[in-house]
Amino acid sequence: MIVLRDVVQQYGGRVVLEIPELRFVPGRRYGLIGENGSGKTTLIRMLAGTSRPTSGRIEGLEGKKVGYLPQSPYAFSFSVVENVALALDGGRDAKEIARKALVVVGMESLVEARGDRLSGGEAQRMALARVLVRSYNVLLLDEPTSSTDVRSMDLIENTLREYVQKTQCTLIFSTHAPAQALRLADEVLYLEKGRLVEQGPAQALFHSPQDERTKAFLRHWSLNS
Amino acid sequence: MIKQVFELLFGADPELRQIIGVTLRMSVMSTLISALIGIPWGVAMGANQFKGKAIVSRITNTLMGLPPVVAGLIVFLILSRSGPLGKLSLLYSVSAMVIAQVVLISPIIAGMTANIVSLRAPSINETCAGIGIFGWKRLWLTIKECRIPFVTTVLAGFGRSIAEVGAVQMVGGNIQFKTRVMTTAIMMQTNMGHFEMAVALGVVLLIISFVINSLVHRIQEQTQRDRIA
Repeated sequence: MIVLRDVVQQYGGRVVLEIPELRFVPGRRYGLIGENGSGKTTLIRMLAGTSRPTSGRIEGLEGKKVGYLPQSPYAFSFSVVENVALALDGGRDAKEIARKALVVVGMESLVEARGDRLSGGEAQRMALARVLVRSYNVLLLDEPTSSTDVRSMDLIENTLREYVQKTQCTLIFSTHAPAQALRLADEVLYLEKGRLVEQGPAQALFHSPQDERTKAFLRHWSLNS
Repeated sequence: MIKQVFELLFGADPELRQIIGVTLRMSVMSTLISALIGIPWGVAMGANQFKGKAIVSRITNTLMGLPPVVAGLIVFLILSRSGPLGKLSLLYSVSAMVIAQVVLISPIIAGMTANIVSLRAPSINETCAGIGIFGWKRLWLTIKECRIPFVTTVLAGFGRSIAEVGAVQMVGGNIQFKTRVMTTAIMMQTNMGHFEMAVALGVVLLIISFVINSLVHRIQEQTQRDRIA
């Protein structure tokens, strides 16, 4: 189990995340929702190890294979298939495996295109294929569909469901679309101004939120969607 | 005067050829050595977070603006007979000029390289961390992604080197058929009233500067096109 204890993250003296305690149960899917600046990305980056908490500790990730897709993944200036094969340590079948991963995310026609010439949505799908080409114990995704269209979003969500089922990994993802958390997550966490406001099973949190701040956020979202 | 300038440019004036030869030799050598020092220095600064990075960055920025005569003076004192490297007898040689140029250009290449790398490194680092790529492989990928802007940096270094006067005058001594380069020759010929030679050398310098700028512009245009395409 992944446990965060008294985790605080500060940037320039400003507290951007403060979580007294939080647990992630292995094999479950967690969706992080909240406004911009609520701390979703900070939390995911700390779990990925690319940002260290100012204080507190994160337990349960030692020796675990952690995969992570950042919000703005880098598309290297070589071919799409080579971009994906990067994650495979250059094995003999790397390109073939990468090619198959690209078919899964609907990018078979762009296999030989240059990574840095892809559109935002295509680059995001390529980056997802690059992460999913390997098996992990914990998979962290920061807004994996922020640049994709509806059709691609369906494809990505289905791909993620299959991946989690196959690998039995713990999935923790953030999303700007609460509906995606409802579709994809077992549990949803609502963050506001760097604090965890409410956490619960997806259906329960969406249909009967307990905290007034969660209610206000969900009301605002349902009015605008 | 124009006729004489053309005669010098297209004739076989041995001094003019020699000056151009020394200038190119000094500029190419100093740019190559500066690139070998400045690029790793810039990559280390731009791609990593480390204690004391702010101070290293400030020192680099200060050195980027180092006045050529100060660089010349430092190298002069080091290479002079009573200096720590006096025994090498390098003063008033092309090697001394190259050393002075390296002192001037390495920080410029390092600073420009650091800026280029720091624009890409955060995203590359995050992406690589997500797929388990660390250390040298990540560094190599970062360098590979920055290779085209690096060429621009090196060309800018060359442009700076070829146009340098103060430092090379101090440590080279502007010795005829030995350490005289285009800039020091222009200065001297102008002072002596030999404007034909000064203008001829100025034309060559301008042509070289134009070629370098065209190359930089072309690389930047190509990079821009790649990004849009």
